[in-house]
Amino acid sequence: MSQPAPFFKTLLARPEAVLLFVLVAELVFFSAVGRNFNTADNFANIVRHSAEIGLLALVMMPIILTGGIDLSVGSLLGLCAVLFGVFTHEWHIATPLAAALTLVVGAAAGGLNGGLITGLRLPPLIVTLGTFSLFRGLAEAITKGTMTYKDFSPAFLALGHERALGLPYQGWLFIAIAVAISVLVHRTTFGRSFQAIGFSPEGARYAGLPVQRRIATTYVLAGFVAALAALVFTARLRQARADAGSGYELQAITAVVLGGTSIFGGVGTVGGTVLGVACVAVLTTGLKLIPAIALQGIGSELGSLLTGALLIFALAGGVLAKSLAARRARRQSLAKPQPQPIT
Amino acid sequence: MRALKEVSFDLHAGEVHALLGENGAGKSTLIKVITGAHQPDGGRITVGGVEVSQLTPARARALGIACIYQQPALFPDLSVAENIALRLEKTSAWQRVRWAEIARRARELLQRIGAEIDPATEVRELSMPEQQLVEIACALGAGARIVIMDEPTASLTQKEQHLLFAVVRELRAQGVGVIYISHRLEEIFALADRVTVLRDGESVGTNPVAAINEASLIRMMVGREVSAIYPPAESAPGEVVLALCGVGCAAGGVRDVSLEVRAGEIMGLAGLVGAGRTELARILFGITPADSGEIILHGRRVAVASPRIAVAAGIAYVPEDRRRHGVILEMPIAANMTMAIHPRLFPGAWLRFGAERALALDYIRELAVKTFGPEAPGGSLSGGNQQKVALARWLATQPKLLILDEPTQGVDVGAKGEIHKIIRRLAKDGLAVLMISSDLPEVLGMSDRIAVMRGGTIAAMLPGHSDAHTVMAAALGQPGKAAA
Amino acid sequence: MGKYFRELSVAAALVLLLVVLAGIAPAFFELQPLLSRLTAQTPALIVAVGMTLVIICRQIDISVGSQFGVCAVVAGLLAAAGLPLSVVLLASMAAGAAMGALNGWLVAGLGLPSIVVTLATMVTWQEALRLFQQGKFINLPAGVQWFGLAQQRGQLTLIATAVVLLTCAAWAMKNLAAGRHVYAVGTDAEAARLAGINPRGITLGVFILLGALAGLAATLNIVQSPQVDPKAGGGLELKAIAAAVVGGVAVNGGRGNLWGVFVGLLLLATINPALTYLHVEAYWEKAIQGLVILLAVVADGIRSRKGGAK
Repeated sequence: MSQPAPFFKTLLARPEAVLLFVLVAELVFFSAVGRNFNTADNFANIVRHSAEIGLLALVMMPIILTGGIDLSVGSLLGLCAVLFGVFTHEWHIATPLAAALTLVVGAAAGGLNGGLITGLRLPPLIVTLGTFSLFRGLAEAITKGTMTYKDFSPAFLALGHERALGLPYQGWLFIAIAVAISVLVHRTTFGRSFQAIGFSPEGARYAGLPVQRRIATTYVLAGFVAALAALVFTARLRQARADAGSGYELQAITAVVLGGTSIFGGVGTVGGTVLGVACVAVLTTGLKLIPAIALQGIGSELGSLLTGALLIFALAGGVLAKSLAARRARRQSLAKPQPQPIT
Repeated sequence: MRALKEVSFDLHAGEVHALLGENGAGKSTLIKVITGAHQPDGGRITVGGVEVSQLTPARARALGIACIYQQPALFPDLSVAENIALRLEKTSAWQRVRWAEIARRARELLQRIGAEIDPATEVRELSMPEQQLVEIACALGAGARIVIMDEPTASLTQKEQHLLFAVVRELRAQGVGVIYISHRLEEIFALADRVTVLRDGESVGTNPVAAINEASLIRMMVGREVSAIYPPAESAPGEVVLALCGVGCAAGGVRDVSLEVRAGEIMGLAGLVGAGRTELARILFGITPADSGEIILHGRRVAVASPRIAVAAGIAYVPEDRRRHGVILEMPIAANMTMAIHPRLFPGAWLRFGAERALALDYIRELAVKTFGPEAPGGSLSGGNQQKVALARWLATQPKLLILDEPTQGVDVGAKGEIHKIIRRLAKDGLAVLMISSDLPEVLGMSDRIAVMRGGTIAAMLPGHSDAHTVMAAALGQPGKAAA
Repeated sequence: MGKYFRELSVAAALVLLLVVLAGIAPAFFELQPLLSRLTAQTPALIVAVGMTLVIICRQIDISVGSQFGVCAVVAGLLAAAGLPLSVVLLASMAAGAAMGALNGWLVAGLGLPSIVVTLATMVTWQEALRLFQQGKFINLPAGVQWFGLAQQRGQLTLIATAVVLLTCAAWAMKNLAAGRHVYAVGTDAEAARLAGINPRGITLGVFILLGALAGLAATLNIVQSPQVDPKAGGGLELKAIAAAVVGGVAVNGGRGNLWGVFVGLLLLATINPALTYLHVEAYWEKAIQGLVILLAVVADGIRSRKGGAK
């Protein structure tokens, strides 16, 4: 149906393919150079340390797909972690109920973002910058800046430490949410509307789509999953602190943009986001296992540095590639075959 | 098709020369040629006796040609004086802004045109006509010898119009040549010295205003009989589908619209640009909801507060701006076609790609969309085929009322004929069609009845076999004189 | 009145807060603590000036805290090496300008959204700095603190510098063609281009200026203590953006006044010590800061919707 193109050309045109290649290269490199990289324990370790950011990236993706952004997810993670501690330790609510309550609070906080953005048509950037400060501030106020909640029930802590079939629990959770978001974005009318809104909010409105409601949905979803990530974080560290998840919003956005989702909206896949998360996770963990770097104890800084640099190159590269492609398309448009009616 | 064919036009200093013609007669193309935005394929332009070749916007400005548009392009956050200053001089970045001098010059220029505007006001605080006056002041300050005004009174109140007229007369007295484009005949008779009528890209004639009357002007504008071939009407109108009772919306400038559209009927909605036709369509589709009157669909009153409600009620709207509103260019044809029927085609929000593809293929065949396939992005299609995709999206909703806004604008001749046939077939199948069109032959050839809008309301309700004179006269607000 | 309503209402809120403090906690107005608190705000004020220009130009820069950190370490190392403060200052500002130029090139040259660009550079500079400095403080030679002056005179010098800078910037934004061009680009870049302004140049310029001001602020920060903290810039971007938003700068460009930002910063900076004096726990600072930002944008949002309906 579409124009024939060489196999490799179409393959390389997709950012997912590039990422997959980068991921494989990372795995090969670190297996060769890193110490104990290629072990089940290390694999589990990577999963544990990247599940929370991965979850945030998964819900950041639909938001960016609609052309929005949410800077508050990291702060919300901190607030939800602290609230979970308050629910279990000060209100003495049973853990499952406390967890459910935390998820509700997360969704409500996301609803606050969504409500301000769609109700008053405020720019998402500045609204979520405000709630970024507000949520973190509330977490600090509740804990008076220093208090941490410890001694959670063993059953709950298992979420952060146990494995099933070799994969840590939070890994299964990540897969479940990834599948759910992927279905939502690629298999339902919700995803269709996110895409339409990202390309053209006005066009979506003229098609009778519920634009404001769909946008609000993405922020509520982000709040809900941020709360989920807070539970995972608390279980992993065995404690709830006000500074939980600081800076996670940046890493989540990085993973999404690296994963090929256009910051201008409309274009992107959940699979790409998963690959983006994996690339960043393997890079940051793998570096720590290279003896020379481990010796200096600079693995995490180097990992973050490379992530930031990677994001700049991904952004600039995307734009430059696009303008090159546009130039080539202009040259080829003269020789373009004319479409024929389908009969 | 050429937009302009060998037009001769001259303008004297100290003259107001009116330019008149239907929508699409070539007025804006002529203006673009004069302001250097378009290069003519032939002919000569002389300014002040000197022949000018290769006119660019910058050269036109240097020659003293200025154009005042309906929507002024000013900086709303800056003051009037500053806007004038930014337009008139290229200051280097480190130069000081001489506020006193800027304010003085702004005051002087505004005084010259008799406008009472404080130069210190921010432009956002000004009304549209006041902004136009600022534009005129800019033009004067730039030493304009030729000022072009493109329907300057379209959005003005009576009082503001008189102010503007005084300004135009003032310009004339100062020896400026004014090209004045307007649809309002009374303005032309009140203001202009000469008038040129354009039709189908040709000049029909230039006359001193004193030598002609309104009836002859209308005759010159309409000229020929409907020449294009339109498919014949085959349907007999049935029950009333849509009834409007005194519908209005202050923000859209529409007031007190009452009309009925029947099943199987094509109601043409004629009128000049700015008469409120698209605004009426936007009210019916819930984009700018009505704030007065009743919309009755199949005997039931509907409060159309949003496009979603309109879609659910069975109203479909193929908008005028295809590329911004009609089709999402980056998305596949199939996704575009199914966008308005998500709840029905995809129960439980679950996308069914097979059903979507089948539906898209059906419409691609039925409407003869020329494309590589349902997966091709909307932006890969030609204008006419994009329009068919937009149409398919709304036909898929199985509407009771189809509103078409300029359905064949920017569409090539072949696709235009096809679209006309499709509209006819839909009416025959019992759909109520409300067709907005600025293409007079299209309105006359397609409509069972014609509603003519003027000044935000229905000015006349005419039978489908009306002649062009009658429609044009009603649109211009000269009902009695057309027959003369 | 109407024109400066927004700025005046923020000023009224500040005055109200100060009056309450005067009634309840007169200790707030004791000279030396007051002077110290004002001095501590000078770097934020200088950065807020640059940030305001960037926001008026319809952009944003959240990497300024990281830039500040890098500049502080550059300045600290040079000062520790015994170079004169003037050289230190120039080097620090040059480093900031270079980082600003990178942001500006990515935004103005490649047309990328400033939020993501500066997000990326924020992470990059911050981690590069952590990698380089490993969180270690830099000890400064004796003559650096307060420029070798007595503490109070040093503090007054800093405050005076910041206020002079603010006054000059406010004057330039009002009276220099370049300042007006920033407003024009922020209002409508395309119309500005048609009016003969170079929007890319202006955008690049405001980013470079913000970087240079971050360098200046970092230098004026290191003279306040005997050591350089490489993490000192953390959260500075938020503080500057908050001051601008509260001070009435429109986040979608074209509108804003540096004096409003000044008042906004003073209001935000007064809240925290005020809490202490009013016996409210200081941990609420961030939450209240967020709430103030939200209140400001909501108020602007409601105002502009009302204005739009007119």
